[in-house]
Amino acid sequence: MAGGKKLTKEEELLLQDFSRNVSTKSSALFYGNAFIVSAIPTWLFWRIHQVDLFQSQSIVMFVIMTLISSWLVAFAYKNVKFVLKHKVAPKREDAVTKEVMKKLSDADSKKMSRKEKDERILWKKNEVADYEATTFSIFYNNALFLLLVLFMSFFALKSQDPNINYILSVALSAGLLALLSTGQK
Amino acid sequence: MASILQATFVCVFLAVFAPHFSLAESCIGASFNSKTYTTTDGALSTETVFLVEFQLSCKNKISNIFLNAEVDGKQIPVSRSGDNKYQVSWTAEHKKAPSGTYSVCIYDEEGFSALRKALRTGEESKVKPLITVPVDHPGVSKGPWVSTEIIATGIAGLVWYAAFATKKSIQS
Repeated sequence: MAGGKKLTKEEELLLQDFSRNVSTKSSALFYGNAFIVSAIPTWLFWRIHQVDLFQSQSIVMFVIMTLISSWLVAFAYKNVKFVLKHKVAPKREDAVTKEVMKKLSDADSKKMSRKEKDERILWKKNEVADYEATTFSIFYNNALFLLLVLFMSFFALKSQDPNINYILSVALSAGLLALLSTGQK
Repeated sequence: MASILQATFVCVFLAVFAPHFSLAESCIGASFNSKTYTTTDGALSTETVFLVEFQLSCKNKISNIFLNAEVDGKQIPVSRSGDNKYQVSWTAEHKKAPSGTYSVCIYDEEGFSALRKALRTGEESKVKPLITVPVDHPGVSKGPWVSTEIIATGIAGLVWYAAFATKKSIQS
């Protein structure tokens, strides 16, 4: 709060839009999804690569790697969402404006000031962009993560011991996913 | 005196029964039931195995005779695996065992010695086999041309590419 000035409500809203912080709701969505997609390789290594899942050593390995990978995948979700959100918003502006205007009755429309209308449009636009970016980010990262895991486990690390193969392919895939998500384009 | 009597007895015995013994050696009106197995999985085996099991029955009720087999100019002994049941097996490289029907010629002792004699002298053998067992070999295959992991990775790649193209269009 530079200059000792308190931020206005609009400024706070604007700041929130441009920050990388995500709401609790989308955070839960991200971590939940990341956990599910990170647990999928467990099935692949258990059923296809024949790792004994019910050995205490294997269980510990699977749990630890799933948690690490969940964190990395959720990190990638957040980054991709942040980049996409600001790209999606201008594309949806016209449609959102039309929809908001349609919803306002004539009486409301006359009563409201221009500024208020713009604010409403901005708020709706942000909501739409946020939702679209969140879902698309989950889809994109899931697709890339599973592709990387399949490629690593079946081709790149084919000759390794299944346990080493699992640890490396999950760690490298999640790591690469997190790394690629930090790009701005 | 006793030895002369004994010799006469043996001569009479041979004169009466010997023709029956020699007849007993050859099988007349042979028919057979056969079961065959050939290797089809080329990925797990280094050579193709042919296994023929057959049950021989002769009209003159002869059983358990000695047999030999001949396939593609190779002579193979036939082993007996049970009462009147026989087995022949041999192996060949995958390349030298193309798919098709193989004829396994089975000879009895008499026929086989005639065959060998003909082969020794370089004549073309005119000996008819006792029976000819057909073996259908469908050929070896090395499994599907594209393996499952390539298909799985390919599909994952296509899905990712669709997502990537959409991402590009959003960001443009």
